[in-house]
Amino acid sequence: MLEVAEPRAVAGRAPDVFREGKWVPMRTYDDNEEVDFAIVGTGAGGGTLACKLAEAGFSVIAFDAGPFWRPLEDFVSDERDQGGLYWTDERITGGADPIELGSNNSGRGVGGSTVHYTMIALRWRPEWFQCRSKLGYGRDWPISFDELEPFYEEAEEALKISGPISYPWSRRRKRYPYRAHPVNAAGLVLARGCEAIGVQWSPLPLATLSAPRGMAHPCVYRGFCAYGCSTNAKQSVLVTFIPRALNAGAEVRDLAMVGKIEMGKDGKATGLTYHRGGAWRRQKAKHVVVAGYAIETPRLLLNSKCDQFRDGLANENGLVGTHLMTHSGPGVWGIMDEEVRCYKAPPCMAVTEHWNYDDSDKKDFRGGYAFMSQGPLPVGWAEAQAINRGMWGMKLRQEMTRYNHVAGLRIVGETEPQRHNRVEVADEKDQYGLPIPRVTFSYSENDRRLIEHSKGSMRAVLEGAGAKELWTDHDTSHLMGGCRMGDDPDDSVVDRDGRSWSIPNLWVCDGSLFPTSGGVNPSLTIQALACRMGDRISGMAKRGEL
Amino acid sequence: MLAPRQPEPSHRPLIAVAAATVATATGLGWLLQRAWNPKGDVNHRAAQALGAGAAILCISVALDSAIEHYRGQFKDRAMFVGPTMALLGLGAATYIAFRPEHANDRLPKIALFTVGATGLIGLAFHSYNILKRPGELSALNLFYGAPAGAPAALTLAGLYGVIAGEMLSGRDNVSTRLPKHTAALIAFSLMGTVAEAGFLHFRGAFQDPAMYAPVTIPPLAALSIGAAALTPRAAAFAEPLLKATAVLGIAGPIFHAYGIHRNMGGWHNWTQMILQGPPLPAPPAFLGIAAAGLGILPALQEAGE
Amino acid sequence: MSEFKTPFLTYDVLDKWDTPSWNDQTRAAVRQRLDDEPPRRFLSEEQWSLLEAIAARLMPQPEREEPVPIVPWIDDMLHRNAGPGYRYADMPPMREAWHQGLDAIAAEARNRHGKCFEELSPGDQDALLGDVQHNRVESRYWRDLPAGGFFLHLLLKQVVGIYYSHPAAWSEIGFGGPASPRGYARLGFDERDPWEAEEFDFEAEHA
Repeated sequence: MLEVAEPRAVAGRAPDVFREGKWVPMRTYDDNEEVDFAIVGTGAGGGTLACKLAEAGFSVIAFDAGPFWRPLEDFVSDERDQGGLYWTDERITGGADPIELGSNNSGRGVGGSTVHYTMIALRWRPEWFQCRSKLGYGRDWPISFDELEPFYEEAEEALKISGPISYPWSRRRKRYPYRAHPVNAAGLVLARGCEAIGVQWSPLPLATLSAPRGMAHPCVYRGFCAYGCSTNAKQSVLVTFIPRALNAGAEVRDLAMVGKIEMGKDGKATGLTYHRGGAWRRQKAKHVVVAGYAIETPRLLLNSKCDQFRDGLANENGLVGTHLMTHSGPGVWGIMDEEVRCYKAPPCMAVTEHWNYDDSDKKDFRGGYAFMSQGPLPVGWAEAQAINRGMWGMKLRQEMTRYNHVAGLRIVGETEPQRHNRVEVADEKDQYGLPIPRVTFSYSENDRRLIEHSKGSMRAVLEGAGAKELWTDHDTSHLMGGCRMGDDPDDSVVDRDGRSWSIPNLWVCDGSLFPTSGGVNPSLTIQALACRMGDRISGMAKRGEL
Repeated sequence: MLAPRQPEPSHRPLIAVAAATVATATGLGWLLQRAWNPKGDVNHRAAQALGAGAAILCISVALDSAIEHYRGQFKDRAMFVGPTMALLGLGAATYIAFRPEHANDRLPKIALFTVGATGLIGLAFHSYNILKRPGELSALNLFYGAPAGAPAALTLAGLYGVIAGEMLSGRDNVSTRLPKHTAALIAFSLMGTVAEAGFLHFRGAFQDPAMYAPVTIPPLAALSIGAAALTPRAAAFAEPLLKATAVLGIAGPIFHAYGIHRNMGGWHNWTQMILQGPPLPAPPAFLGIAAAGLGILPALQEAGE
Repeated sequence: MSEFKTPFLTYDVLDKWDTPSWNDQTRAAVRQRLDDEPPRRFLSEEQWSLLEAIAARLMPQPEREEPVPIVPWIDDMLHRNAGPGYRYADMPPMREAWHQGLDAIAAEARNRHGKCFEELSPGDQDALLGDVQHNRVESRYWRDLPAGGFFLHLLLKQVVGIYYSHPAAWSEIGFGGPASPRGYARLGFDERDPWEAEEFDFEAEHA
């Protein structure tokens, strides 16, 4: 089992992710040394921001509760062994439509969930940033697509996204740094089906290399992408922004669980308390950035309550943890005459965003969805059939022998921000003695209409491609919201730069910033936001506004 | 905006690649000089060089199509045709290269004509293969579908062989336009091969600066031999550029072998990387075309005088 | 349906053990799964034997002399308390749920047939498990534990997940298995690398 018991990034060095058994030098700070930024979390938000801030000359420590992986050694070609990549501390999930957590959306370790994400690197539809004023639903973001576009480009360049020469949706864009991968049979099912019903499709822009990059190898299409990439083709934060951050003088503290943000009498954060190497320690910092994703970020703010801030930090208006969103993910599956062997190559290689950009009144719901071709591995596939179809016994074993003929599609479906969908803390404590999070989630009526509509679209595409014996399952993916950003202090947790309204040296930088969920995977937008925050903070420092 | 920094692999293997290229090119050059028939007039020398060029093109196509059609699991019987015809072309062209006086014989001419015609049919097949894929004529299908360049190389080989025969047909080539037309064909061949290499290196995002080599030197060579077709004085520029192109054709497979080494598992994983890595037998096409071009230069110059 | 047929007649993923498809770390992980069966540390002897009987119905392996072991790994997971990272709000903590659920199934069997679950015929066992799946149970045995939720999200998910992480299961479904450093070169429809499973068509064979 993938387990790392002791911190690796200690004594002035950190693992070299590109060379087996090798190390890179790392600057280290003393607990009492007041660093410019202490960042909680090293995923798409925290890891990216740590790099940007370190390269701008700030002193930075980035904490992660999980290990500092060595991709070439730790990442095994096996579903069960890789369970250690996920956040498996106890959490309670409830509501009318409880969200499956753990492997579904929560990473643990340096690089966060980008270590096991499926690498889909899509920009948001430009209008979604003003979806209330332009499309008539949801709420407007405090920033526009135009403001974020250069940072999308920066993130895409940093990850050497392999994408098509022309992507059919969104605005005209600069060419992707690397070329698109060949589309596997699972993706060609989507392509064929879309062409049959007259809907556009595209190869997916992916954060996995289609050509060598420095010490990183191009993708070998091994298909274990939902687990760690042992090829280093996947451009996770672990092998992109983290090496840059270390190079620029940041310290990364692995296996360091942050339990509390320390507050001073002046109402400003003074640092944080973290658990590492069997003991609780305190780190002083001028600024604290929380980047633990949509559950751990609100949880830390709530668990940091003190006499001055009895309801938790940045929570004067009671919005911390609220408006949590996921992406609905119904899937449609079928059997093809041809061998598909969907275990080969990245699980998602082709996409249609048709229903993200279609504003016609043929849609009986607000919002949008994209759907992608799918490539489940045996354990995941068997579990899906058992749980969704209630299949077991010889029937299931026999059905599983058709695995190589399976083709499926799954949406990334927008859900509405609702106040009662939220993260709270329960009375129960975890292994560190910290109150565990309780997540409540229920779809809105509109969310349900979107789900039903998408099932019809996916059926049409699969039937168009020649799939038979269709059936439907339900899943979710991604987490967003919980500390939304905005222009109104009464109606948001942080401002447009991720800075808390009430505590000027407390920041949030991850998916919990999202006011709405959009209909594509969030990681690239999180990374673009982090790049933007890095630039904004540097600018503020120069102007003396920090 | 700061440039992303990633550790670069050691440059020592690349130095080895360059050294191996120089050694191989020198060795091959010396062997060719020795084997070359110093007797005979410019027509003989042109015929011999065209034969040698066609033979090298055929080796390249035979190996490349054998590997690529093996990847395609020879799903269609017709997929045996490419490598087979390339071998036939190789036999006929080698014969011409060693016995240029027989270049105008009926048998090698028919063989090479057939090979050339098969190349055209292959081109049609490959185009059909691309157009029937989802996405039809898209960059993706041009990247990963059946390549148009490979069957076209077979047609060029056939043409070179037929022209070799024409060179020895007894007509006074110095007064005809045949050398000029051949020079133009060589220029066209080079540009076609440059387009294919450039397109595939674009697919590889020109991730290594060495990948720019085949899109810088051969176009200059094409330009100069194209110019030489118009004014024979340009042949003086064409010669060194064609020689450089020939060296590229020799260096290519060595660089591509290094490219396979750069992939996951390197040569230990050759069963996958021989298919997925950079194609080993493709670059010698440059050598074949350059050899033919070098051979036609004296005839061109003589025609100019 | 009691007979099992696989179209991958000649394929054994373990034949690739020494090829570039497997690297040392994967070999180590799978070797541990094949060789180091964990001892009983969490379940009681009765619960263990009951779970053996249940697993034999959820994933029957009549054609194997030595079935793929399932229960030792469930016990190991419970011993380490290695949960999935969440529990549904209507469920007790994982370990309690397993004790409670297994004891409830044992009680259901005694209540219905006057015998323990292991002694029932396969048909009766299947019927009982089907009732648990669809919540047709005596609530006094289950108390606050939702029977269907326990069956699907804990019991069945674990049994199936453990079975399909065994190389024997990969072979019978034609899965390529471990793939590092060597992945796959042929990705299209009906395309197969030489190191992948060859599928045989029964109907064509018989015709």
